[in-house]
Amino acid sequence: MIRFLGRRVVYMAATMVVASLVLFLLFELDPESVVVQVLGPYSNADQRQLWLQKNGYFEPAYARYLNWLVHFAAGDWGRSRIFNMPAVSIVWTRLSNTAILGFWFFAFLIPLSLAAGVLAGMREGSRLDRTISALCVASASLPPFASTVLVSVLFVFTLGWLPGTSSMIDGFAYRELVLPVLVLVVYDFGYVARITRASMADVMTTPYIRTAMLKGLPYARVIVRHALRNALIAPFTVIMLHVNWLIAGVIVVEFFFAYKGFGSLILDASLGRDLQLLEACTMVTVMIAVGTQTIADIAYMYLNPRIRFK
Amino acid sequence: MTETKQHPYLPKLVDQLETGRIDRREFLRTATLLGLSAGAAYAIAGGIDPLPALAQAAMPKGGRLRIAMRVHEIKDPHTITWVEASNLIRQCYDYLTRTGHDNITRPYLLEKWAASEDLKTWTLSLRKDVKWRNGQPLVADQVIWNIKRTVDPAVGSSILGLMKSGLLQEFDTGQVDANGKKKMSTRLWDSKAIEKVDDYTVRLNCQAAQLSVPENLFHYPFYMLHPDENGAFKVGVQGTGAFELVEYEVNRKAVLRARKDYWGGAPHIDTLEFIDLGNETAPIVAALASKQVDGLYEVDFAQLDAIKAMPHVTIYPATTAQTGVARGKYDQKPFNDVRVRQALKLATDPQKVIDVVFRGVGDAAEHHHVAPIHPEYAKLPMVKRDVAKAKQLLAEAGYADGLDVEIAAKNQPAWEAAAVTVMAEQWKEAGFRVKLNVMPANSYWDIWTKVPFGFTSWTHRPLGVMTYSLAYRTGVAWNEASYSNPEFDKLLTEAEGALDVEKRRAIMAKLEKIMQDDGPIIQPLWRQIQTAYDKRVKGFRMHPTQYIFAETLAIEA
Repeated sequence: MIRFLGRRVVYMAATMVVASLVLFLLFELDPESVVVQVLGPYSNADQRQLWLQKNGYFEPAYARYLNWLVHFAAGDWGRSRIFNMPAVSIVWTRLSNTAILGFWFFAFLIPLSLAAGVLAGMREGSRLDRTISALCVASASLPPFASTVLVSVLFVFTLGWLPGTSSMIDGFAYRELVLPVLVLVVYDFGYVARITRASMADVMTTPYIRTAMLKGLPYARVIVRHALRNALIAPFTVIMLHVNWLIAGVIVVEFFFAYKGFGSLILDASLGRDLQLLEACTMVTVMIAVGTQTIADIAYMYLNPRIRFK
Repeated sequence: MTETKQHPYLPKLVDQLETGRIDRREFLRTATLLGLSAGAAYAIAGGIDPLPALAQAAMPKGGRLRIAMRVHEIKDPHTITWVEASNLIRQCYDYLTRTGHDNITRPYLLEKWAASEDLKTWTLSLRKDVKWRNGQPLVADQVIWNIKRTVDPAVGSSILGLMKSGLLQEFDTGQVDANGKKKMSTRLWDSKAIEKVDDYTVRLNCQAAQLSVPENLFHYPFYMLHPDENGAFKVGVQGTGAFELVEYEVNRKAVLRARKDYWGGAPHIDTLEFIDLGNETAPIVAALASKQVDGLYEVDFAQLDAIKAMPHVTIYPATTAQTGVARGKYDQKPFNDVRVRQALKLATDPQKVIDVVFRGVGDAAEHHHVAPIHPEYAKLPMVKRDVAKAKQLLAEAGYADGLDVEIAAKNQPAWEAAAVTVMAEQWKEAGFRVKLNVMPANSYWDIWTKVPFGFTSWTHRPLGVMTYSLAYRTGVAWNEASYSNPEFDKLLTEAEGALDVEKRRAIMAKLEKIMQDDGPIIQPLWRQIQTAYDKRVKGFRMHPTQYIFAETLAIEA
């Protein structure tokens, strides 16, 4: 087990280094393109030379990369141009905001979609199954950019029940979280519920479930003790992948509700050509992707005894 | 007429008003510029100065006012190019003068001003009761430091363009640029150009007659900053303004606290907040609907119907000289050819642009950037759309097979990209193959003076000559088209000093004609703008430049 974990950590670190190299090659290899990004396409040669000199861009590329990597690892992620503060502090603030959004998103999504999926998959083709399936299709076909407008018109403009933006100007407010969470849950519910349903329906047709039924075990016990454990492996993978999706997928929702999270930070950084902030955001995204992957792998081992890692 | 030393031209002006040779608006403007108080000028013209009446109205006290507006990074208040940024800075710093929503300029940090008969010498008398936050009085040395700083080419303020004909001269730096051209710069024309008379009096000694000095002093970056801070803008800055900056988070919010000891009387509200909801208009309107903000910087035309449906909101419209111009670089191919510039103008149908973009609300423009509401406006014939002639001009210029151009525009406010799209379609009929390059507003403002072909929005100014000296005088910071026409420059300097309205209008007619025939801009329209505030907000008047004066605002509990 320790060896397995150790290998995963090494693998994580290696992935990060490769990702950072790709990022560096994309963004920083050509100093000329960096200075054009920062100073704009119509800056003059003198200004560019001065800036490159001041920021150490006359060093060879490998030295600049190592220097950048060491600084990054030490927590110095450069300075955000548009916010005029260290990138690391703004990234953490925004990331924690998105984490709050993500927490409530999963807190509603997981019980709702798993319950619906299991209920539908237990008796394939039943009226309950068809009703839930119809709901799922409707929800999955409503993309966030459409549902944001829809829920706004309904709850903000027509009924006046909920605040229309979620910028948390006066500090944290649960009321302001309702609409963003609603939009995200509506979008994802159908997808996760359908996966759970399919997985559950599969399990229900396996011989060991049939055996359990024929042995005369109570139906509820067959479902909870025997079927669920296997049926939940697929939805679990999907949900773990959704952490990654959430990081990028919330851009629309954060933008529309003016929620100051990580998604809108990525957008601000790319629109504002804030290179160092964008690099920091990208690296954080990679970290999260690799991290969730590792967690998923470990959890897999517990869920499915057939998977054993050497 | 209670002024002790009145300007010799004033009686003539009164005579012109009485015989109907100038209208009331023109009288008010010129009389106040010559140093007559706004109250006295309104009395002669048969009216009451609206500003004091407004200030005396009973207002609710206290409370917090929240306005939705972009909160940008501000590097230096003297070099800003965004009106939004000016609205934030304006609450902390004051101007020497203030042009009201009625387009009349009144003294502000000044107690009064006086112009010499030849309009070359302007004596500015400071109020003696103005205090910085640290308790120091505002004195002449600080004002002189500010004026000198803004006309220093190294600072890069747009104010330089306004003051150039009066205070500055060009000189050869002795260096050459990359193209081998001599590098020119500017400096004060005389060591006494900006003169300290005593601790509370500053004198501007201009080399040429200048009428618009008081209006220029209200150009939006022209704040009186504290010299010790050298142009820094951050929490805790010294200012003479009605508010103190206590929180400033770029792209999120700025919080300002009222100064109880403000020299102009404590503001009605306790706290003012500017809340940044991003570039998208949907959250801004949603925030107003759910009362998360009390007012907006601007209402986008596309959102007007949604806002009209809100019972708790008042919409404030204003007719303005706000506009947007498509301009090609005057010194770069293909726009250095007058036939190409004319072809673009002839291919444009302004009314169509207004119909599509603003549903017919707005006025068609004549491609010369002087608005019908400017006092010195001279009516010129409209440039009629003539696609055949445009094609012919393009062919004569050597582009018989059409011409590829790329125009840069910004995505916010939404009307700008829409207007460019409509014009691009019109230009295509004349043989221009137009590529649109729509970018975020902050990216555009980084390159707006450099891009070969771009669409730039211009805010309202009380005078046409102000726009001309900011945007089309040779070599000034905001001359985005690099326009350079010696005859235009000469006439402009003349117009800036012409006191007689009819004479000024005659010069303006020539200037406008030069712009129409030779100028670098394609200008489709004049905008009508509007904003919206919660009905609980009192004292709001829409300023044609969208300036916010928060000390005049109050909010009911």
